[in-house]
Amino acid sequence: MSKIGVFICHCGENINGTVDCHKVAEEIAKVEGVEYALDYKYMCSDPGQTLIKQAIKEKGLDGVVVGSCSPRMHEPTFRRACAEAGLNPYLCEMANLREHCSWVHEKGEATTQKAIDLVKSLVEKVKRNKPLVNIEVPVTKKALVIGGGIAGIQASLDIANAGHKVILIEKDPSIGGHMSQLSETFPTLDCSQCILTPRMVEVAQHPNITLYTYAELEGLEGFIGNFKASIRLKAKSIDEKLCTGCGLCTTKCPNKKIPSEFNAGLGTRTAIYVPFPQAVPNKPVIDKEHCTYYQKGKCRVCEKFCPTGAITFNQEDRIITEEIGAVVITTGFNVLKTDYFPEYGYGKYKDVINGLQFERLASASGPTYGEIRRPSDGKIPQKIVFIACAGSRDPAKGIPYCSKICCMYTAKHAMLYQHKVHGGESYVFYMDIRAAGKNYDEFVRRAIEEDGVNYVRGRVARVYEKDGKLIVKGVDTLLGAKPVEIEADMVVLATAGIANKGAEQLAQKLHVSYDSYNFFAEAHPKLKPVETNTAGIFLAGACQSPKDIPETVGMASGAAVKVAGLFSQDKLVREPLIAVVNRSAPPIFSTCVGCFMCQTACPYQAIEREEIKNRNGEIIKTVAKINPGLCQGCGTCVAFCRSKSIDIQGYSNEQVYAEVMALLNN
Amino acid sequence: MDNITEFEPKIVAFVCNWCTYAGADLTGTSRLKYATNFKIIRFPCTGRIDYMLLLKAFAEGADGIIVSGCHPNDCHYTSGNFHARRRWVVFRGLLDFFGIDVRRICFSWVSAAEGGKWADLVNSTVAEIRELGAYKEYQKVAGYLEKEECNE
Amino acid sequence: MNKLIEKATSLLQEGVVTKVIGYEEGTEKPRPFFCEKAEDTSKLIYNSRCINNLAVYLTKPELLGTGKVAVVATLPTLRSIVQLAFENQLKEDKLVILTVTDSEEVIEFAGFAEIETYLKDFKLKIDQKEQDLIDKLEGMSKEERWTFWVEELSQCFKCYACRAACPMCYCTRCVVEVNCPQWVQPWASPLGNIEWQINRAMHLAGRCTGCGSCAEACPVGIPIDLLTRKMMEDLGEEFGVVPGQPNKNGNVLSTFKPEDKENFIR
Repeated sequence: MSKIGVFICHCGENINGTVDCHKVAEEIAKVEGVEYALDYKYMCSDPGQTLIKQAIKEKGLDGVVVGSCSPRMHEPTFRRACAEAGLNPYLCEMANLREHCSWVHEKGEATTQKAIDLVKSLVEKVKRNKPLVNIEVPVTKKALVIGGGIAGIQASLDIANAGHKVILIEKDPSIGGHMSQLSETFPTLDCSQCILTPRMVEVAQHPNITLYTYAELEGLEGFIGNFKASIRLKAKSIDEKLCTGCGLCTTKCPNKKIPSEFNAGLGTRTAIYVPFPQAVPNKPVIDKEHCTYYQKGKCRVCEKFCPTGAITFNQEDRIITEEIGAVVITTGFNVLKTDYFPEYGYGKYKDVINGLQFERLASASGPTYGEIRRPSDGKIPQKIVFIACAGSRDPAKGIPYCSKICCMYTAKHAMLYQHKVHGGESYVFYMDIRAAGKNYDEFVRRAIEEDGVNYVRGRVARVYEKDGKLIVKGVDTLLGAKPVEIEADMVVLATAGIANKGAEQLAQKLHVSYDSYNFFAEAHPKLKPVETNTAGIFLAGACQSPKDIPETVGMASGAAVKVAGLFSQDKLVREPLIAVVNRSAPPIFSTCVGCFMCQTACPYQAIEREEIKNRNGEIIKTVAKINPGLCQGCGTCVAFCRSKSIDIQGYSNEQVYAEVMALLNN
Repeated sequence: MDNITEFEPKIVAFVCNWCTYAGADLTGTSRLKYATNFKIIRFPCTGRIDYMLLLKAFAEGADGIIVSGCHPNDCHYTSGNFHARRRWVVFRGLLDFFGIDVRRICFSWVSAAEGGKWADLVNSTVAEIRELGAYKEYQKVAGYLEKEECNE
Repeated sequence: MNKLIEKATSLLQEGVVTKVIGYEEGTEKPRPFFCEKAEDTSKLIYNSRCINNLAVYLTKPELLGTGKVAVVATLPTLRSIVQLAFENQLKEDKLVILTVTDSEEVIEFAGFAEIETYLKDFKLKIDQKEQDLIDKLEGMSKEERWTFWVEELSQCFKCYACRAACPMCYCTRCVVEVNCPQWVQPWASPLGNIEWQINRAMHLAGRCTGCGSCAEACPVGIPIDLLTRKMMEDLGEEFGVVPGQPNKNGNVLSTFKPEDKENFIR
């Protein structure tokens, strides 16, 4: 027979003002199974908690119901009190008599009766509570960071400095990401590579970080604290132990006309190449798709000149597996190319470029050594037009969102242009100016007031080429939609930020959700920006949505702290309110029939298939099994199960049924 | 004592812990007032709510039911409310075909910030059920053989 | 018929299967026949009066360990087989599935995928009488519908023949046998009968293949297949569910689309 203790709290006058607490305690004492019932002014106070602990010990209670405020407030408090008195904390429940009763009703018979009903239903529930033990799952203290841009670099350094091992993988031959392509950063106009490269070197030299470049994630299995990652190390055709990074091979390669990805298509590179001079690691790779030897079987000039014999043709991709405890996704983003815009030339006009290409022109290590020159004829443009919101905020083009960084970098580009081309005229066609960071608005003001950039509020309908010039037809809405036509030498489109190619496939490999633009989804838009719905997988940076460098770095550190927090314990302790599939003796083994409707429904892929075999190894039946490390306790599977073979601790079928019955039966 | 001749409906609310329960808490903290006729049962997620519980509630004397959870896309467990929604669409259609009064079951999405919406919802549901009256047809059928019913 | 008997005989004689499940002529109508000896295959028949759904036997524990079994499947049986296979209840290598076309050709299916392709040519048609009754019910007011069902179900004495005949009811322990808590009253009472039928219909959501065995099996002739057929119609309209062509993503209730209708949700 149950021995339930019921404690009704007055909460000062909060509850007692409208509910007759003494009467509630009296009525509840009459319920079968209630051993002890009392009411007291403040149950959550020290003396109140002592009352509970004493009652548990003296009366031998095997269940406790506290009728007081919302469980969302004090459930941990009372559960801890029970645990300290020796009663399993999961045998304690709370009836919400304050937020759901005394605070929302007037004083009266009906309110007191409702309070009595609520406590009764919780008493019936507690009678069927089972003692539960917290689940412990071991944790591998190694993190995998996918993507070597500034977000991945920052996250790796933070996790490594916290004393944990990190594996950083990057699919390009060097880390650095888009930040290494920038010339200067807003709002300080710091040289981007100058602030980035020291971090890149730190990553390469850090004892806790293992860096794999030219590598991609092949697959990920397992669950939080216990992942197994398989990583494909693409063949670089170089023996990294022998290569000294002298760079001689890159000067001898005859195949020089390959468009350079680092220079956003504006420059060229060789087939054996280092993407940029400050690359980390500073060792070349051979691009198999363009190398004459790999395509046609001839050449091998680099091999002849290499002083250490580091070139190793016919190297194969290698797949390695690593045991990982947590994953941080920092794969970044990309920007639309100019061929997306029919009204701006479909990419045919060489002098219509996007923001990233302009960065390369402005960069001292770029194809024009920092001089702004037209890609078509190399002349310096005297009139340049910047078009903001090219593609962004445009539902007709399928991109309704704002790409956040373009207003700032357009102002920066215009300023750089004015600094480099004295006497040049620059125009920015804008819709709004979004300069919401620290010193951002002052930066844009500087562009307008000090550097003389002409800001025109309106959109550009068309750009076309005529006699070597680009005719820009726009409108000035602040002057009443007056048409504006400019004969420009160069047009720069601030194109929309989009998800990287392959983002969808990566998300599916990792089982993380993504939205319709292929940006990865955070667990909660306000309160969990760096977590995903998959336990143990975090994200940071522009792979979640376009953002600027300070936000990216902030998120990366945030994700690193989540990882460090996860690794700060040897075992992961989780609340045991999870689902369980029943098991029984042979020949039934389980009432589960193996239809696996639950497996399809589970949002966390926590349901696995277990094969039940006989002594000869033949499979008798396949039933469902819950992975306690992954189950979050939503109970959706329980409601699906036709044969009621799954139940969830804490909200079991019996408990919930008893609650409903008790609420209605007076 | 309430006037015995005036009918006071009995309503049970099945709510999810993360949104609607928190929303109801907010209604309490904001001291908004609503009718006493209904009582809340807490579930971790709307996905957990078994449709047979709704029928059991009617059989035990409930005149109306409220089922409420997180807005689509906001589910704390990502998709429990999506599954619940499909289940409700199918169940409601079936009940309607059976002739069970589906006006007595009120489904809603109430988020943790919508304390006011919860109060309005409860008040309007209580008023609607009061108009519809006690669910005598179902209770008559359920009450048959009452003496032989198992005590759970 | 001869081709069928030939095929069955050869399967049994060559020891490919230990049993052929088909139909034989009963006293008033055809009934299921479990043929284990090659000599008995002459009793096998196949015509439009063969309406039992033989797929119900394929999940029975008695078939475990008996080696391969052949089944002569009508179209409703084929749909049930496809659905059962989708739910992991059948093993492809333990079954030989045969059907007989209108031109009396015997087809042996190589696997479940082939059955699905074959079924695509045959759309499920609801009998006109039943469609009329469904339409009549939909036209009634809800009080009239309630009275109709309470009256119809008052005859039910919980023999559970509907459950026994349905191939989709293969649970080792049925929900009605769970008594902690008692979800459905297992005894005959107005409430118990209603709860049972509603529960049955919900459990068949998206899985019912419209064979009508449940109503056929009912000894007192309650039209319970109307419930499942109405549900099939609704699910077909709302979610595109087609009996016999299970959606590879999952059952209609265990999957969802963000745009599902919700005009009744406040």
